[in-house]
Amino acid sequence: MIAPFTSSGSISETGALIAAPLIGVGFGWFLERGGLGNAPKLAAQFYLTDLRVFKVMFSALLTAMIGAFWLDRLGLLDLSLVSLPDTFLVPQAVGGVLFGAGFLIAGLCPGTTCVAAATGRVDGLGVLGGLFAGVIFFDLNYGRLEHFYLSTPREGFTLPHLIGASEGVTVAIITVVALAGFVLAERIERSRA
Amino acid sequence: MNRLHRTLAIAAATLGCTAAVAGRRPTTDPSVLATEIDRETDHVSALDLAEQIMRNDADLRLYDLRSAAEYEEFHIPRAQRTTVTDLTRTTLPANAKIVLYSTGGAHAAQAWVLLRMRGFRNVSFLREGAYEWTARVLQPQLAVDATAAERAEFERAKPMSRFFGGTARTGVARAEVLQGYWTGAANDGSSVTTAGATSVVRRQGC
Repeated sequence: MIAPFTSSGSISETGALIAAPLIGVGFGWFLERGGLGNAPKLAAQFYLTDLRVFKVMFSALLTAMIGAFWLDRLGLLDLSLVSLPDTFLVPQAVGGVLFGAGFLIAGLCPGTTCVAAATGRVDGLGVLGGLFAGVIFFDLNYGRLEHFYLSTPREGFTLPHLIGASEGVTVAIITVVALAGFVLAERIERSRA
Repeated sequence: MNRLHRTLAIAAATLGCTAAVAGRRPTTDPSVLATEIDRETDHVSALDLAEQIMRNDADLRLYDLRSAAEYEEFHIPRAQRTTVTDLTRTTLPANAKIVLYSTGGAHAAQAWVLLRMRGFRNVSFLREGAYEWTARVLQPQLAVDATAAERAEFERAKPMSRFFGGTARTGVARAEVLQGYWTGAANDGSSVTTAGATSVVRRQGC
């Protein structure tokens, strides 16, 4: 489990190992109940007929962002302990294109693939097999890919650094953009219905 | 949009937009830093740093605060050169294990305070800088009349010295043994140069 709970000592390593599958089951449960284990529904977002993925993901992002920001400001959470993965601009942009293409073709992303496979959907099982094959292929060829994989490093690069604004202003901007996105998504869905 | 959606949207807008005027995260309390300095938890020993490098700790960020010429001549493997000014604005993963070193320890200690005030928790420095690395890791020495503790440190340092391309020496006269805080002596880092270590470390691509 990533920080801050293990780093601050509020959860032991064993506690983290117990909590991890519980969080995973909860995550999978809500994805399934949100209808995100269904490939045609997921793929529908690319045709602008069903934007539930956008709405679910942005709701989660907005809730986590606002919650983490205020918990940090109120002194209940130390954001400096939260793990922040390094940024590698070009390889991650290429990975994003690859991910998007795979998402469109399969109709599933990694999390929803697991949900679809767990509910016995054949397409989910197929994509899960492909996902593991891709992981193994990458691992076996890492030596050849390493140079590109670690190119254009930016360390822990975040939006406040990119736009030169404070964390609070960035939170406000993203909130406004997300809420405008929700309104726009609803309008698009209604016009396509 | 139903009533629940509208209520949630208003709550998000309120909390999100007031974030803009929430001010900055409170900086680290100076008394906390003082306690860490008193307890000497602000620095890492050269041997502990060597272990982190040897096990290829992915979270380790090692910064060399010496001049470009000194860095070119010799630096600890995995170290990147930086300046105190750059450290005040550089972006770093929040959970990075940051280790700083300079020629002695003064610059690194100042940079430690700056990074701790920026909110980074896991920051430490080599108390006697590049000199400590050379004396304890690259060129560990065992005095002819070594104590049990000195012998234990030497045995720990010996494989590290081999790993980093240095030379461990035994049977050294007490007066010739490199001194530092770890031997109970204060040192400003000027009694030895790192030039001798340069050639061997260069072989490892540094």
